[in-house]
Amino acid sequence: MDPKPPISDMTVARPRPLSPNIQIYRPQLTSVLSIANRITGVMLSLGAVGLVIWLTAAAMGPRVYGEVHAVIASWGGRIILFGFTFAFFMHLCGGIRHLVWDTVHGFELRWIYISGWAVVVGSIALTWVTWTVSLLLAG
Amino acid sequence: MIIESSNQVPRVTLLKRFPVPRNFKVTPQSRIEKGRKWAAPAGASRTKTFEIYRYDPESEANPRIDLFEVDLDDCGPMVLDALIWIKNKVDSTLAFRRSCREGVCGSCAMNMDGTNWLACTRFISDMSKTATIYPLANLPIIKDLVPDTTHLFAQYEMIEPWLHAETPTPEKERLQSPQERSNLDGYYECILCFCCTSGCPSHWWNGDRFLGPAALLQAWRWLADSRDEAKEERLDTLEDPFRLYRCHTILNCTRTCPKGLNPGKAIAEIKKMVIEREA
Repeated sequence: MDPKPPISDMTVARPRPLSPNIQIYRPQLTSVLSIANRITGVMLSLGAVGLVIWLTAAAMGPRVYGEVHAVIASWGGRIILFGFTFAFFMHLCGGIRHLVWDTVHGFELRWIYISGWAVVVGSIALTWVTWTVSLLLAG
Repeated sequence: MIIESSNQVPRVTLLKRFPVPRNFKVTPQSRIEKGRKWAAPAGASRTKTFEIYRYDPESEANPRIDLFEVDLDDCGPMVLDALIWIKNKVDSTLAFRRSCREGVCGSCAMNMDGTNWLACTRFISDMSKTATIYPLANLPIIKDLVPDTTHLFAQYEMIEPWLHAETPTPEKERLQSPQERSNLDGYYECILCFCCTSGCPSHWWNGDRFLGPAALLQAWRWLADSRDEAKEERLDTLEDPFRLYRCHTILNCTRTCPKGLNPGKAIAEIKKMVIEREA
């Protein structure tokens, strides 16, 4: 008999390496927007905490509200609020895209890309409009 | 830019890879090291450099990246031609699968310039200045560009890819109207190269329990078949937080399918069918 060990025994000695995945796979609009939807979702969850703080401060009276408002109105606060606004619109547009997909529409590669870029352009435009209007109203 | 079909190579690439550390989530034996350079034969005037993933199971060494200079004037137009040229003329130990050389068998699926495709239907001229070739992503490697697809075929087996029928076998074939037959178009053509499953981030993280786009596209191929009588049992098997619902409609699958099929759409059809049977 041939004393050579079966292949399965040889693999036990040294586990096979796993070929790289995220480390080498090319980012594409498909995967980038998917991870963006996740990240904006996390940002919105954190933002919801901020929203509760803001509402609680409003309920606690003018002094506390004034302090919280000062933080929000500071440059740092505005940058965070701007990011939150963008996250809101990106997650909203992405969510609508997923709703359409759930009806089994828009799966042609062409439409996957058109709707994907629409999410990008739409969320930038909506953020811009919101801030322009807000800043104009605020004087 | 808008991608119209999966064979389109993007004109601009903003980001070559995700901004994660090179060894992010990589086990020690999977870490890739620098390999050697194989220079073009003397007198070659038009050369192209290929970075190729190597792994030799008979040595104790980790995987490595070797650089090969290919003489384009001595080599066919496709990436598979370059691999065969290397094997014939430079390093005969380079291992890869190939058979039909015309995109029918699915053997030479691999990761080229960061996306999965068939080496036999990818033009060398469509590759980056320095072309990079890895095996299909996220699979145990037997040798060089040869991945172990046992798990993927086990997942395929799980969806029971054959006709289930209770009704007595007819004298002749089971009839189907042209309309019913057309429901299978875009699904029966799958060649099981597993470019999609290997390119699916959800399958990277949950591949032990998520069936992945290739198996799910096949699942839909049988659900859509008018002759199949096991729809309920098939849906029972699929209706699971992991097997089906780990699909988050990322759609890397549809972007990468070398046959231009649409696994993403097939999975959406399954999800819809599950909802409709409960309604």
